Amino acid sequence: MTTRTEFLSRIRTEVGKTPGLFSARTAPRPSDPRAVSETIKRELAERWPQALERFQLEFERVAGVFHRAASIAVVPQVVAGIARENEVRRLVAWDAPELGADLLDALTARGLEPFAMPPGDLADATERAELRRRVADAELGLTGVDLAIAETGTLVLRSGAGRPRSTSLLPACHIAVFDRTALIETLGQAGVFLELWNRGELEGRIGAVTSFITGPSRTADIELTLTRGVHGPKEVHAIFVDQVIRG
Amino acid sequence: MSETDLSVPFRRRAGSALGDKHLQEALTIATTKFIGLRRDAFDEFPEGERLRDLAREIKEATLQHLDRYVEQLIDSVERLGGHVHYATTPEEARRVVLDIAARTGARMAVKSKSMASEEIHLNEALEAAGVIPIETDLGEYIIQLAHERPSHIIAPAIHKTKGQVADLFAKELKRQVAADPEELTRIARVELRQKFLEADLGITGANFAVADTGTVVLVTNEGNGRMVTSLPRVHVAIMGVEKVVPSMTDLMVFLQILAKSATGQKLSVYTTLVRGPRRPGELEGPDEFHLVLLDNGRIRQIAGPLREALYCLRCGACLNVCPVYRQIGGHAYGYTYPGPIGILLTAMLEGPGSVKDLAHASSLCGACVDACPVRIDIPKMLVELRREIDEARIAPWTERLAYGLMEKVLASPTLYRWSKPLARLLQRPFARDGRIRSVPLAFTEWTRTRDLPALAPQTFHERWPTLK
Amino acid sequence: MVTCLGDMFFPEVGVSVTRLLRRLGVTVDFPLGQTCCGQPLFNSGYHAGATRVAARTVEVFRDAEHVVVPSGSCAYMVRHEYPALLRDTPARAEAERLAGQTYELSQFLVRVLGKTRFKASVSGRVTYHDSCHLLRGLHESEAPRILLKNLEGAELVELPGGDECCGFGGSFSVRLPEVSSQILDKKIRNIEATGAACVVACDSGCLMQMGGGLGRRRSKVRPLHLAELLAGDER
Repeated sequence: MTTRTEFLSRIRTEVGKTPGLFSARTAPRPSDPRAVSETIKRELAERWPQALERFQLEFERVAGVFHRAASIAVVPQVVAGIARENEVRRLVAWDAPELGADLLDALTARGLEPFAMPPGDLADATERAELRRRVADAELGLTGVDLAIAETGTLVLRSGAGRPRSTSLLPACHIAVFDRTALIETLGQAGVFLELWNRGELEGRIGAVTSFITGPSRTADIELTLTRGVHGPKEVHAIFVDQVIRG
Repeated sequence: MSETDLSVPFRRRAGSALGDKHLQEALTIATTKFIGLRRDAFDEFPEGERLRDLAREIKEATLQHLDRYVEQLIDSVERLGGHVHYATTPEEARRVVLDIAARTGARMAVKSKSMASEEIHLNEALEAAGVIPIETDLGEYIIQLAHERPSHIIAPAIHKTKGQVADLFAKELKRQVAADPEELTRIARVELRQKFLEADLGITGANFAVADTGTVVLVTNEGNGRMVTSLPRVHVAIMGVEKVVPSMTDLMVFLQILAKSATGQKLSVYTTLVRGPRRPGELEGPDEFHLVLLDNGRIRQIAGPLREALYCLRCGACLNVCPVYRQIGGHAYGYTYPGPIGILLTAMLEGPGSVKDLAHASSLCGACVDACPVRIDIPKMLVELRREIDEARIAPWTERLAYGLMEKVLASPTLYRWSKPLARLLQRPFARDGRIRSVPLAFTEWTRTRDLPALAPQTFHERWPTLK
Repeated sequence: MVTCLGDMFFPEVGVSVTRLLRRLGVTVDFPLGQTCCGQPLFNSGYHAGATRVAARTVEVFRDAEHVVVPSGSCAYMVRHEYPALLRDTPARAEAERLAGQTYELSQFLVRVLGKTRFKASVSGRVTYHDSCHLLRGLHESEAPRILLKNLEGAELVELPGGDECCGFGGSFSVRLPEVSSQILDKKIRNIEATGAACVVACDSGCLMQMGGGLGRRRSKVRPLHLAELLAGDER
């Protein structure tokens, strides 16, 4: 089998044979992503209403359903409404610290059957299997949002302890809750955050996957007819909360 | 898996495709739609042209230091606890995956769409080793059931009608199935959901891999990429070595133009950045992550005539605009990658001899260059392939003789002058009213469907004295 | 430069170009012994042969101040391929000079001479096919349209799929004739749908392909080179 040395050495040899086709450089990177990201956030603190308007426009263009709630306290009501419309009850949610609030009781009070994904490692294989079954059975998935990109109507979610990948993937209906602090305007700005988040090693309880989600799962593989909910959710809802969640 | 029969000459394969009414209809509808979607997306995106130039530059800059970036990628992946494997040939790549499957006791593998895995013919090898491969991209799932290869780089089952798909599902599931895309999608969702949850091994390709961070990037619309990289215990990503990009900042440039070029979407539904196996604290995600770096003819092209083809993002935009692809579809090409870029990739993977006919499956119109997000000059490389084929003397002696004669006549004003009365003599039996309706030998092919003009009664050379 | 196809099959195009330019006060010369730019050899990969033919062409046009050619593909060949093709030959410097001095007809009229108004030789609707090498090789879609829109006596109607290949591609038309013909079918359907009396192009190869198909169908639509349309000559 080819070894690392052999492989790299062959590439090196070929690279050395030619100066290339034209003078070229890679994209200029922010030297201090943290500082740039903070600048972005500061600017968005002023411009967020316009960014939100754009986000809603683009989100709805990709068949997302947009909701607005005055505060996090109102969110269970909105979620219950969505559940009622779909005639479903079983909900899986990110762990409370990841959502920014504990909504389970309020959701139960409104007739849903919610459970939260526990934080931390579950060494027990039986528990993991049981959780997986519960997630697979859930009809609604409730998550937070790390970034909401206005330019494309995209929700960016990082995986991690208490915020597993399946919550926004397996249930047929994904509901994402966010406030103005998640809003950014462009994909270029998102790149700055990716530079920041991936600097050095992954820290703490942050997971291995960052998902950019732009609308519900879809395909046009059969005669170019668009259908939704192939493997991922059939519906994606975004609830914008006016009052910042983590006061 | 049924392959296009390469013993049938290309021209005949193309002819069959032209005669296939279903295929013709599907191709017209699909390519026209994709062209419109792409055009609308870029019309709305003024920065598009600048980003295309930048993307092209990044690809070139990466190749100029590919060894450095690949090494950085390897180190990044290994630091996260991932494993990197090196495959010079398809055989090696298959062996790596089979070894991983054997060692981890995998009995079923779910696959997210990967042209690289098609290229190395992985599925047959898995089956032979007793590992069941399940394609989860709906289009790939369909053609897997049909025992066919993909006919388009991003819409693999574009040649199938919904009736044909319903029949395939009915045969597989042993029950009646309506020819309705919604229903068919729902069935696929339910059937494949089980597979995702039970599979031991997840196999993907990679649209990009970021050297700086060791992140593999998957661009999908269905969600299968996310499933395959989160639910099974082991994740293997197979990737052509040219897909490495230096940084996240570079990545964003490509993401801004890739989906727009492929389907007209601003972004695909899911862009998934996978940085190694699951982290402590994560309930989900693979315990093991493997990256298989694939050469298969790519490395030799870094300093070769097909270098620019290494920029390819596998978006399929060139297929949609190619007048040849639009008429014959993907299967007629006969290899894993069809369309304009497919001819170059086939030459890269299988050698220039493999494209002695395919290199001429182009009118050199250049529509592909216009559509390509990174502006790959495909016609230029096609001409270069034709030159290599000529140098290797692979063309039939009749053709080489004809061109040799053409050169002699065109290089000598005397011979050129004498060729005209000779041509007039030869055409006499065939020319009526300045037209030739049918003629034997070389131009028979023309006159089957088109009139040919007869040689002018007086050529311009002969008229010039009166014009002076 | 009259082109090989022009010389042998469409001399009226060369005649039109000559008359057109002379009417504009240009001194027109025709170096005898010109044959071909070498593109058919080049495109099929016979580069040694193409180099020899190109070197001859460069020599023939050695003393030309401007070279005007009624063909996008030939102009492209000279402007964009000659310098690289002849780079390792004694003709190198001359090739580069010629490349800078060669113009496709519509580009010469509009961008060099600044002339845009002409009287049409036919009346009624005309439609325009963008030849691939003129459109994508020389990046020229405007100059022919300026000339056609300013034409006295004829009305330009845009051709659906006008920027799509006609299926000629030189040897492609006989190597893959079935595919070439089917591409042509689509082009002709589009042409006939415009209701135009003429389809105009700046390349004899395209006109041979489209004319061949129109003729076989006994279509009423007439293929016409831009030069003939502008020169006010009746055939």
